[in-house]
Amino acid sequence: MKETERAGKKQKSKISRRDFMGAAAAVAAFTIVPRHVLGGAGQIPPSEKINIAGVGIGGQGGADLRELSSQNIVALCDVDSRHASGTFKRYPNAKQYKDFREMLDKEDKNIDGVVVGTPDHLHAIVSMAAIKRGKHVYCEKPLTHTVLEARMLADAAREHKVATQMGNQGQAGEEVRLLCETIWDGAIGQVHEVHVWTDRPLNGINNVYWPQGIDRPKGEDPVPDTLDWDLWIGPAPMRPYVGNRVYNPFVWRGWWDFGTGALGDIGCHSLDPVFRALKLGYPTSVEACCTLVNDETYPVASRVTYEFPARGDLAPVKLHWYDGGMKPPRPPELEDGRKWDTNGQLYVGSKGKMLGGRLLPESRQKDYGKPPHKLDRSPGHYMEWVIACKGGKPAGSNFPDHAGLLAQVVLMGNIAIRPALKNKLLATKLLWDAKEFKFTNMPEANQYLTKEYRQGWSL
Amino acid sequence: MKSWVKSDEEQDKKIARRDFMSGSASLAAAFTIVPSHVLGGSRRVPPSEKLNIAGVGIGGRGAGDLDEVGRENIVALCDVDDKYAAGVFKRYPNAKKYHDFRKMLDKEKNIDAVVIATPDHTHAVVAAAAIKMGKHVYCEKPLAHSIYEVRKLTEAAREAGVATQLGNQGQASEETRLACEFIWDGAIGPVREVHSWCNRPISPRGIDRPKETPPVPETLDWDLWLGPAQRRPYHPCYLPFSWRGWWDFGSGVLGDIGCHQLVSIFRALKLGYPTSVEACSSGVNSETAPLASIIRYDFPAREGLPPVKLTWYDGGLMPARPEELDEGLRFGNADENLYIGEKGKMLGHRLLPEARSKEYGRPPRVLPRSPGHHKEWINACKGGEPAGSNFDLAGPLTEVVLLGNVALRMGQQLYEKGLKLYYDGPNMKVTNLPEANKYIRSEYREGWSL
Repeated sequence: MKETERAGKKQKSKISRRDFMGAAAAVAAFTIVPRHVLGGAGQIPPSEKINIAGVGIGGQGGADLRELSSQNIVALCDVDSRHASGTFKRYPNAKQYKDFREMLDKEDKNIDGVVVGTPDHLHAIVSMAAIKRGKHVYCEKPLTHTVLEARMLADAAREHKVATQMGNQGQAGEEVRLLCETIWDGAIGQVHEVHVWTDRPLNGINNVYWPQGIDRPKGEDPVPDTLDWDLWIGPAPMRPYVGNRVYNPFVWRGWWDFGTGALGDIGCHSLDPVFRALKLGYPTSVEACCTLVNDETYPVASRVTYEFPARGDLAPVKLHWYDGGMKPPRPPELEDGRKWDTNGQLYVGSKGKMLGGRLLPESRQKDYGKPPHKLDRSPGHYMEWVIACKGGKPAGSNFPDHAGLLAQVVLMGNIAIRPALKNKLLATKLLWDAKEFKFTNMPEANQYLTKEYRQGWSL
Repeated sequence: MKSWVKSDEEQDKKIARRDFMSGSASLAAAFTIVPSHVLGGSRRVPPSEKLNIAGVGIGGRGAGDLDEVGRENIVALCDVDDKYAAGVFKRYPNAKKYHDFRKMLDKEKNIDAVVIATPDHTHAVVAAAAIKMGKHVYCEKPLAHSIYEVRKLTEAAREAGVATQLGNQGQASEETRLACEFIWDGAIGPVREVHSWCNRPISPRGIDRPKETPPVPETLDWDLWLGPAQRRPYHPCYLPFSWRGWWDFGSGVLGDIGCHQLVSIFRALKLGYPTSVEACSSGVNSETAPLASIIRYDFPAREGLPPVKLTWYDGGLMPARPEELDEGLRFGNADENLYIGEKGKMLGHRLLPEARSKEYGRPPRVLPRSPGHHKEWINACKGGEPAGSNFDLAGPLTEVVLLGNVALRMGQQLYEKGLKLYYDGPNMKVTNLPEANKYIRSEYREGWSL
């Protein structure tokens, strides 16, 4: 049977469930009655495929869809038909849309799950709309653009009992499991200090993946016919379109209004193992320094330090983040000639150190061998989500249990480099009260936990 | 006795020895010009008399230095940029004016001392020429542009027995003395870790060489401005002042500020040469210094003191705020040193937290106070004790500062090869990555030599 025929058959078999839901939705106070009220999200039997819609499909979103191509890709949405053209072609039977709201309206009955690969500033808007309709959501990292959005998505996903997964694929890997098991085995004792770094936005020593530390360009270019600039801007403040890869594709990462800098891009990948291995929750403080920063783009390089309190028997932890080429000092245990990766984590414990998942020095790792096997292995990052969508166990980076918190903490780091706070931040660290969900010693910092949405947009 | 007091005493002894040696030993030295002391030596100026001072590179910082020594006779001024130097030329109407310091030194036989504030890449050629003629030298920081030049200047000054001072005026301050006295008093116990940072923005950095070739202004002698550096077309992006970010002319933020800021650390912890250095940055190219960098030195144990890790940050980076620093006190606004001892921490010369600082009060006073940085030099020129940042002390400091730039410029290779640089200080050699040694001594353009 061809994939498309299969998709057609499956859609028919689901129609009755969806018709029923559609009718019930009309009485819902909260736009749509949560799916679990009607039987929950685990309604797709494992033998069936899920129907997936992609929103933001030109970049990583397209790669995510490929990983999910064992399922039915039923609808695709992108505001940039040129950037998305390859993905549109790859799935000729998928309905094509520019506006995700229209897509969700029209394809509501046909969609089980949504894959969100838009720029960061749209993640929450798209994901929340999908969750409220009871759709399962796979959303690229960082989960959201603001701390509050990440918390709201986590809460909404819990409430609506949808299956979620953030796009930090590394979480499903063997390395993070070995890392956790080694640390839990006590191989380096109590971990009190962790250093995590990425070269980004630097790409090699004299290139960048995307610029940071720049100002907004003057002037305006005609918007290409292939781009809906208003939709691309979405909830962000409107600004004139400028071509020449100033904002899109991909390089939006460097702009405060659209991206989350190197920390947002990589933090959810590389802090994930730290959170798991050390069972971190919210930090008690955040503090940072960086190169010159303005209100337009993130700085060229930064260092962020989080302090985490003791957790049960686990010692307090200082977590140092470096980007833009900055790195921690080479530990004496690291052998001469052993290269630092462009991205890495160094765990400093009372009884030793680990670089990524390996004990230092390498001879120590060889002596140690493998830790006792404690964690389940993953069927694969994307398959985890598919299984969860079909009623299986929650994915490893689901929003309520893991990704929501991780993304919140990552994004707090960006508040600590806000130029408007700079003067005050010289005099203090930001102290975080998790229960009150606010910084206690600098009220003006709390405004950056959220953002204003352009008229016509809300969560 | 504390190290730099001792150094001063040793210096006194050396001077006496030099006076004795100067007639014979120097003649045998492999030095291009016959030392002037053979021809009469540096004029012994009694304290009651005024020095005859010449300034080379007077438009920028040089003007400030000349103001500071303006009670002496400013007899000659030299600058390759008439426009930039115009104000200073006017201020000293009786001083002879020159473009070429070589001509000035040839013609003005009455010069006792030279104040050098050219761009970094010409410090050494000017200073060496002056020293060889027996002139006392005040030279802006960093002492020179390469480690090799620094070493040669240090040796030459020692041999010629002239009075020298590096332009790191903070060395003469009360703060520097207090920092030493706190640490020597054991206020924070043995120190194994020091952080030093400066977020001074020096532009341009992190950029490439311009392609346009505008005409050289009539007021500028571009060839002389380039001096020993390799020839390149004129462009206004290099001067004034902005040469600091260009590797061929300046030494980045570390070179600009390191000699100021690290001097307290060097004195307090009695540092010499490090055993290794590593660097990371926001991207470095062959033309300009990076926007931001972190440079880490390892110093070995010294005189019963434990090994020390010294970390330098620039471009806005700094260490994490120490827990002991009172909430509300600003941290890392501009430039600072943070000492981490086994029994406490000190920020600049202030013990942390404030309560500890108040309780402790002042450390016992063991260091003599300075009459002022420029005055120290004037006194030394007139036969007084050597200045606090004479080249015997400032030389090693500057070498260590410039070694940081070697690590920075080797960034990509260090990174790819997974190495720090291991350094043999006395022999000026990187031992584990021979390619790095090309940054220890730069090639001079034809017609220029030390």
